[in-house]
Amino acid sequence: VTRGRRQFIIGVTVAAATAALLYFLPLFHVVPLNQAGQPMASTAFDAVKFVDCFWSERLIPGAAQAVDAAQLVAAVQQDPKVARRSYGRSVGLGAVYFYLVAGTGRVVSAKKRAVGLSLTDGNTHVQVWLETDKIFGNAVRDGTGLLNVNDIPNSQDFNAVSSEINRRIEVQVLPALQKSASVGAKVRFVGCAEIADEETDLHPLRIVPFIVEAP
Amino acid sequence: MNRFVPGIFTTLVLTLLVLLGGCGTPAKPGTPRIAVVISTLNNPWFIVLGNAAKEYGTRLGYDVVMFDSQNDPAKEAAHFDNLIASGYAAVLFNPTDADGSIANVRRAKKAGIPVFCMDREINATDAAVSQILSDNYSGCVSLGQYFVKQVGESGKFVELLGLVGDNNTWNRSKGFHSVVDRYPGLKMVAQQSADFDRAKALEVMEAILQGNPTIDAVFCGNDAMAMGAYQALVAAGKDKQVKVFGFDGADDVVKLIAEGKIVATGMQFPKLMARTAAESADKYLKGERNLPQKTPVAVELVHQTNVNKYGDYGRKEEK
Repeated sequence: VTRGRRQFIIGVTVAAATAALLYFLPLFHVVPLNQAGQPMASTAFDAVKFVDCFWSERLIPGAAQAVDAAQLVAAVQQDPKVARRSYGRSVGLGAVYFYLVAGTGRVVSAKKRAVGLSLTDGNTHVQVWLETDKIFGNAVRDGTGLLNVNDIPNSQDFNAVSSEINRRIEVQVLPALQKSASVGAKVRFVGCAEIADEETDLHPLRIVPFIVEAP
Repeated sequence: MNRFVPGIFTTLVLTLLVLLGGCGTPAKPGTPRIAVVISTLNNPWFIVLGNAAKEYGTRLGYDVVMFDSQNDPAKEAAHFDNLIASGYAAVLFNPTDADGSIANVRRAKKAGIPVFCMDREINATDAAVSQILSDNYSGCVSLGQYFVKQVGESGKFVELLGLVGDNNTWNRSKGFHSVVDRYPGLKMVAQQSADFDRAKALEVMEAILQGNPTIDAVFCGNDAMAMGAYQALVAAGKDKQVKVFGFDGADDVVKLIAEGKIVATGMQFPKLMARTAAESADKYLKGERNLPQKTPVAVELVHQTNVNKYGDYGRKEEK
């Protein structure tokens, strides 16, 4: 074997060994931007399982604590601070308050995204809107007062709870409401409302329902 | 030779003055000292956070010294070495890295110095005494809903991300995407990091606009980047066509919202967070141990209809 050929074989062997080494022990990994630097998701927490248990054992039984929607609107109009103290809940610090509300009303408007109810007989104006489209935000997670941010150590898991509650409402509650919500129909509801601004958010009150039935 | 002596003397005096200046006002004997460690003072929002922490700490009777980590975990670690060695009573802390900063907090804890996180989270619940954090995810859910309302259910948009190692970057992005991703007509044509930096956002946005000249909106993970993106759009003559959304509630963005040039932002409350952190530290140093590990601070949506209620990094009536 000539000297040049020997050097070639050594070079190829070294290159192959280096390639094999780098394959098994790479110096860096290329990852998509949306995965770069993201904290590891909690592997122990299962939001679906958590909400499954929360829904049947705490949320539905807790509905009995809801304040009457018309009473809440009147209380907020009279004195927002007293209404917040008496019926509202907030998570941490901030001006956004959540309320657990219930009521029975007659459908006076049925739109693609919400069903409008009048809560008093003979009134044709919408007094509350029940959301029927995609549900976002933390109204139900934070409105009942049954869940605390410090009960779940990871804030991303706490947000996942909210998403799962909303998904469950979309799948299990809203289809029945959309089906039965023809103008004139009577609807009983329990749900949660978010009020960030008392000047605008009461006209009308928007509610994310988690119980809807025809009385 | 003699003519150099006054020069050397002056240089020594000036160096000493700069070094002592960096250490802040000398402590009054017996007055406990609090350190305010801020991730970067190269961003007006963090200057407000740091100054407010210093002001509230001083009002509560402490000598307060501020440290700038310049977004550098190594500088932050050096600050902690310094403050541990100097015997500070507590730290009001705005971390540079959710994971990387944990070790600093643990070292302080081991040395008996309680740490109170402000605005930015660390990925540990057993290190800091408490963490006062903006509810970034929920704030961006609201912003995402308003985005859909303003842009519509179809269109092309760009997202400028903050520092990829920071939890806030992803909590904001995830909150926003939890809404917009449910509208298949809304297409994200580019997603790039501009490190929460105005100059970098300008640069990144200019490059994106070359490849995507017909976008409808840009969502920015903070207001400094929103300002940079807006500047790029003005330069390209597209500021009337592209809707800009920010996050923070910085004064310059709030003013541009009032003028109809930027669509919306999420108001964080740096002064409220700083005050809560300072008060928590004071309570802890006076013996209170029942402090919540995490206190979320709600983020409020600021848009043209309600912009008159906001300014000076908060709600106007709170001043």
